[in-house]
Amino acid sequence: MNINVLSKAGETSFTCEEGETLLFAGLRQGLTLPYECATGTCGTCRARLAGGEVEIPWPDAPAFAKIKREKGDILMCQCRPRGDCDLKIPANVTKSVTDDALPAHRKGIVKAPRRLTHDVMHFEIQLSSPMSFKAGQFVVIEAKDVPGRRAYSMVNYQTGTQTISLVVKRKPGGGFSDWLFEGNIEGEALEVFGPLGQATFQAEEDKDMICIAGGSGIAGMMSILECATSSNYFDNHKGHVFFGVRSPADAFYVEELSRYVAAAKGGLEVTLAFSHQPPASSSDDAFPGLTLAAGMVHEVAAKTMAGRYGDMIGYVAGPTPMVDGAIRVLITEAALARDCIRYDKFA
Amino acid sequence: MADLTSGKGKPPALSTYSASQIGTNIMSWKRICGSGDIAVNSLEKFNVDGIDIVVANYGDGFRAFPPVCPHMEEPLAETGVLVRCVLTCTKHLWAWDLKTLELRGPAEKPLKTYEMKEEGGDIFAFIDQELVYDFDEEADDPDDDFFSKS
Repeated sequence: MNINVLSKAGETSFTCEEGETLLFAGLRQGLTLPYECATGTCGTCRARLAGGEVEIPWPDAPAFAKIKREKGDILMCQCRPRGDCDLKIPANVTKSVTDDALPAHRKGIVKAPRRLTHDVMHFEIQLSSPMSFKAGQFVVIEAKDVPGRRAYSMVNYQTGTQTISLVVKRKPGGGFSDWLFEGNIEGEALEVFGPLGQATFQAEEDKDMICIAGGSGIAGMMSILECATSSNYFDNHKGHVFFGVRSPADAFYVEELSRYVAAAKGGLEVTLAFSHQPPASSSDDAFPGLTLAAGMVHEVAAKTMAGRYGDMIGYVAGPTPMVDGAIRVLITEAALARDCIRYDKFA
Repeated sequence: MADLTSGKGKPPALSTYSASQIGTNIMSWKRICGSGDIAVNSLEKFNVDGIDIVVANYGDGFRAFPPVCPHMEEPLAETGVLVRCVLTCTKHLWAWDLKTLELRGPAEKPLKTYEMKEEGGDIFAFIDQELVYDFDEEADDPDDDFFSKS
């Protein structure tokens, strides 16, 4: 199927396979289609269907409430064309000219699931072909028996890898997390699309960094820390990581974080912020090398960093209120330039 | 500016206008609040005769604008942060310098503003009609026919 695009940058086109969404088809062919969550919540991939017909498998996707369907607006991430289509897209859509690996469809097999806490699961996906990605990027996955797609950031960092690690926090009533937590998912087949996302880190950056994450939002930060550590980034740059969870029992990746702190030899500080159960003291043998604090993670970050900001890149990920609070801190207190604040909006 | 002829019957000759005679003009200056009622670097939402506006105190002055971000209609009174004269919508970091109204960050559209003045310890906005963004056309430039071809 041929998809014609009229955007602010003029006309272009791409092809779409049977059953493929418009967004994924365009992205894998290198078009700079606008998107953020790629899973139907943010509304950024809005387009107007000027000709042709699409099917919408999940008409209840939250972002449909943000667009004008009566005027023909669609979400490219949710629509599969039934034939040739004409789209009008309110953005500059061109063929990408970067050397970055284009996202692609891959098959995946779930490997080695393990619970990190009562409601956090870590697992790996064995991919059908190697994938390169930037630290901080995510994939969209779909399981055969569970409707809908979910976006998860890679925890690991490795170029051309056939194994990616993901972490999922259980959501009450979440179909996918129920599937993950209640059954034996080892060996289950998944569809994987990626890599996606703009909140990336590369070792060529030449700035200090501050990472503010809540819950499973730590995933992309772990990938960034792996990338930075493996390139000795903290030999010459400072890193400040703030990781928020409810209580000490909810903390995870403690061993890995301690290892990054030790490897950085003073270049990296990691603070765990407990929102619901204050720690007895600011250090604890159970959390070697890590600083413990009480409060909401963005507030802990603001308090800890007061007067210590400089030329930095800020990474933010987590629940929406935390993300909004952290971005406020990075704008008002850290005074970071807008292009130095990196996050992917999932809501 | 205000439509000087609406609802007033036959307009007087242009040369005869004076401040006291421009009825609709005067009626369009609306008192918003006292100058000290909005703290520096803060945003307040007001409803003025049925029109929602947000007023920002950027330190050197005030700006009044529609209550939604021109990007994706986010509620600026909640999503906006104001620091060093720059208003930023925290949702996608669209930003504007409130002194010059220059676009900052990834902003692609200007912030529409109501004219403002301070007088006798109060601030007034000139509101003769509601300013709205055209989220369908994606362009405020009437010469831009993007999306208007059907």
